[in-house]
Amino acid sequence: MIVDGSKKLIFRLGGTGFLLELGDVVEVVERIAGMLDSSRSDIGRGIVSALQFRQTWIPVVDPALKLNIFSVVKLKDKKAVILRGSEGNWALLVDQVGELSAAENFHSCEIPFLLKVSAMGFYSQVKLLYNEPMIVFEPERYYGSTAVSI
Amino acid sequence: MSRFGLFQIDQFKFAVSLQLIKKILQNSKSYNLPRLPRAISAVLVDAGQLIPLLNLQQMIGRETQQEHLTQSYQVLVESEYGTVALPADLTGRIVDEQKGERSTIVEQEVNLGGVGSFIYQNEDYSILDINFLAIEMTQVFWQNQPDTGGARRHQ
Repeated sequence: MIVDGSKKLIFRLGGTGFLLELGDVVEVVERIAGMLDSSRSDIGRGIVSALQFRQTWIPVVDPALKLNIFSVVKLKDKKAVILRGSEGNWALLVDQVGELSAAENFHSCEIPFLLKVSAMGFYSQVKLLYNEPMIVFEPERYYGSTAVSI
Repeated sequence: MSRFGLFQIDQFKFAVSLQLIKKILQNSKSYNLPRLPRAISAVLVDAGQLIPLLNLQQMIGRETQQEHLTQSYQVLVESEYGTVALPADLTGRIVDEQKGERSTIVEQEVNLGGVGSFIYQNEDYSILDINFLAIEMTQVFWQNQPDTGGARRHQ
């Protein structure tokens, strides 16, 4: 697969927009109903379920839990963004997967001093896409050996 | 000559020194970001910058109404910690200090981030200390209060 590193994948959780480096993405699974095994959870590591993907089971992480985001989308209706990590593939649960957007459409935007403490540990960069704040999703904060449970 | 911007949100009337007012927006789109301090309703985007919208309703012990996020003024005010936005009903005005009367500070106003009152046409406006509000409302103490209706300055 040829990865265009100049593009970002947009996804949404509870109305908040996030952007993800396309190079981290393996695949987007639009329909996950029937492919989940919630008995294989490890909440301490942020894993809410396991997803059958390419003849194996991979961990499913719901970032809404860590980010304290309320989502009205039911689990069966969520999408999974499959990411490659140091410990293998894993799935990120999201409400919606949007379009790919060119890197030049994003403009850097500093997190205000007054918000830095509350954002610390969850995100460190915000970019503007057509004047809408988008959080730069940092996968290592959510799954893998460096992720910290909250 | 000193002037004040006079605003109101719900029943809470407040005054801000005009020198501190950077801009007044109307019906500006607001965005939620995760893990915002409880005292921040949302963020606005102005000139490519994120502006925290202070939840004044929380300060006075009221629920934030959605229309106040979308159908109101957002008063952008300079603080020592960066620009913050204050929500206000669509009834603001700017008056010379000489046209009203400043009164002494009372304890309740201190608790609400006030530094005194400005009385104009028999209405009492709390003069806000923006630096106090910005730092007290967004940092540790206020964030950790589960009962927002009882949000008060740490004694």
